[in-house]
Amino acid sequence: MAAPVPAGQPAPFVASVTGALKRYSGVLALDRVDFALRAGEVRALLGKNGAGKSTLIRLLTGAEAPDEGVVEIAGAALDQGGENRTRQAAQLGVRPVYQELSLVGDMSIQENMFLGVWPRRFGVLDHREMARRTEEALANLGLHLNPETKIGSLSTAERQLVEISRAMMGEPRLVILDEPTSSLAAAQVEQVFAAVRRMRQRGVAVIYVSHRMKEIREIADTATVMRDGRAVSTFDIGAADTREIVRMMLGHDEKKDELVEPREAGPTLLSVRDVASAPKLDGVSFDLRQGEVLGIAGLLGSGRTELLRIIAGLDRPDAGTIHFDGIDMTGQGWSAMLERGLGMTPENRKDDGIVPLLGIDENTIITNSKAVSSLGVLSASRIAAATADIVRRMSVKAPETTTPIGTLSGGNQQKIVIGRWVYAGSRLILLDEPTRGVDVEAKSQIYAIIRSLAAEGKSILFVSSEIEELPKVCDRVLVLRDGRIVETFTAPDISADTLMTASLAGQSQQGAQ
Amino acid sequence: MTHTSASASPPAKRRLDFQRMNEIGLLLVIAALYIAFWYYANNFLTFRNQVSILRDAAAFGIAAWGATLIIISGEIDISVGPMVAFLSVCFAFILKSGDGSIVLAMIATLAIGAALGTIPGVLRAWFDVPSFIGTLGLWSALGGMALYMTDSVPVTIPPNETLDAMGGEFLGIPFSAIVMFILFAAFAFISRKTAFGRSVFAIGGNASAAHLAGIKVGNIRIALFVIAGMLAAVTAILLTARNGVGDASVARSGLEFSVISAVVVGGTALTGGRGSILGTLLGIFVISLIGNGLVLMGINSYLQPVVSGVIIVAAVLLNIMASRYGAKRQLKG
Repeated sequence: MAAPVPAGQPAPFVASVTGALKRYSGVLALDRVDFALRAGEVRALLGKNGAGKSTLIRLLTGAEAPDEGVVEIAGAALDQGGENRTRQAAQLGVRPVYQELSLVGDMSIQENMFLGVWPRRFGVLDHREMARRTEEALANLGLHLNPETKIGSLSTAERQLVEISRAMMGEPRLVILDEPTSSLAAAQVEQVFAAVRRMRQRGVAVIYVSHRMKEIREIADTATVMRDGRAVSTFDIGAADTREIVRMMLGHDEKKDELVEPREAGPTLLSVRDVASAPKLDGVSFDLRQGEVLGIAGLLGSGRTELLRIIAGLDRPDAGTIHFDGIDMTGQGWSAMLERGLGMTPENRKDDGIVPLLGIDENTIITNSKAVSSLGVLSASRIAAATADIVRRMSVKAPETTTPIGTLSGGNQQKIVIGRWVYAGSRLILLDEPTRGVDVEAKSQIYAIIRSLAAEGKSILFVSSEIEELPKVCDRVLVLRDGRIVETFTAPDISADTLMTASLAGQSQQGAQ
Repeated sequence: MTHTSASASPPAKRRLDFQRMNEIGLLLVIAALYIAFWYYANNFLTFRNQVSILRDAAAFGIAAWGATLIIISGEIDISVGPMVAFLSVCFAFILKSGDGSIVLAMIATLAIGAALGTIPGVLRAWFDVPSFIGTLGLWSALGGMALYMTDSVPVTIPPNETLDAMGGEFLGIPFSAIVMFILFAAFAFISRKTAFGRSVFAIGGNASAAHLAGIKVGNIRIALFVIAGMLAAVTAILLTARNGVGDASVARSGLEFSVISAVVVGGTALTGGRGSILGTLLGIFVISLIGNGLVLMGINSYLQPVVSGVIIVAAVLLNIMASRYGAKRQLKG
């Protein structure tokens, strides 16, 4: 096991990517990226959504082969294709740990540790051997859990650590941690850090994908910033300034003319007071006024979705109140909120938004079939008229109103999912990642739709991971971090840079004026 | 190719989608069965035999309307057979013990059917008990109850003219078949033209989206099972009228499987979200034609279920392959 690398005597490269170029259906995802990592190095990988981080990781794990360029692990180039490539990378010691946990909840820790490759004796599972090796692997990370425990009964942090210790089995050379702390509370993060430090001691290289600057400064040695498919810069983390990192992540080609004009806001429609929900939210308060678009910025796992669900009445807060129209609606539930005039588009359009086999028309009028029916009998002409109106207002491109919504592009689907609340006459619309999986043209159309809805007097709560779009649509933006609102920005003084800096936090506080 | 706004008039053009292809396919299957049985089976094409096919069809077809909606919503109901048996016995006992008001007896039977239906409905809607389990419990309990109450001896009912008429024929067509066709029209309308019917499709297609859009998913699930219970009651009343006795033996006759087969052969997806009442009507005829023809052909009665099993699986397999083909074409188009 290699000790931490003494200065002046560099450890060998464990993994390297040279001149990698990758296109997805014509779109350049990686543009001649060079990336190399030494044994025992902890490298933070930074970059906004779509910067190319995931593609780079997929090259390293062998999930994808580059169109041009070479990927080498421990000096050996990955040369296999298809499924064999992943296996080859795994044999060379690449161990990815993904944020969507990949454990089987109803099986024990030990069975999960060896999922699919269970040790056998005479064809029968060797539970004693499994338990022994599992205990050893867990102990390596300072975990003392019974290997027979079912995954389902572990906490999120413990599951994450079990995943990490699974990655540590055998002879790992490169462990990739993708947002390992996004679902963890602050106290549990320390356990993950301890695991990372042990890996470093054993000479394992670690790629740490995260945007929490505080964590990165604490755990990483170096950082690589990616932007638009390129590795923009690699540097020692100690010397870097957070604002400089933000500048590298965002680049500086932003047009200033798209910003929102400040406007007189109407009376308060929604007020949220001291909402708390362990472990994500810890006292959130704000008001949303009529005709206002209020953005919520924050990193993955900062509690944005949880906040929306509580406002919508889908979840109950541990503490705090929600007033709508001045009426206390806390814990009144989803149907009551809908009746008051709330609408919500979910984060995951495919799973929770559309009914793919039904037509655009039925996906539109689903929020209020009473308006197009008498005595429960639907009127085809009223449905067609109502749908045509929404299709026109949302500028949806579709051959017919009866076309199954599943056959439309993501952007057009999303316009209908928003449009159904316009049809229902909602006064408060919660948009959770409304531009996810949507092409550029549809994105700017969606921004325009949101602005015109606000101009009509509707109130919009806009949540997005794409920090650049917030200045384009929001009158006001709240930054959510560590379960609290840490800063508020008002148009025209909203910029992606300041939002990103506030979301990342860490050292930036001292630097900010 | 695409225009910005869709026309406001109702669509005139019918797409040749999966459902339509499936219905055409089933018509071809029915035609093929007619030709085959006309050739191989004695007396298949006689008027008497057509009436008999209709009567067989009605015996499980009425329950199939409710089952179609249940399966479209992504649920399943396997309790039909014992439910019909139990309700038939109930109906006979009520007729025997009461003052003989047939209307009251029918209403009471319908009410019992509805009440029984709420059990799996509420279990599913409020407690998340899978409908397979809820109706499996009913299957077992009601079948046992019907046999226990009667000692598996048919319950004779007092003679009654109304009942005799209901068990007989009207203008040569079995009364039960007429009820089946009237209910077919009603359910085809409900499934296509009412908010309730469309909500059933939305729930089956994506329950989570339907819930978030404000559809009362739980209430609709309960209503579906209540409807199924009432249709079982209608079936039970007609069965009792036909046989002149309350009959517990239907409990273990496999009626529920005829129902599910008809629905699935009719192109309704067991995964929910897709299906049609018209498809089920055709499915009902495929199932009852096969049963009738195999008997007339003199096929060994133990072998008959083997043959129908093969035919049903083959029909569904064809269905799935057709829908895969359709999906591929949709992707390209």
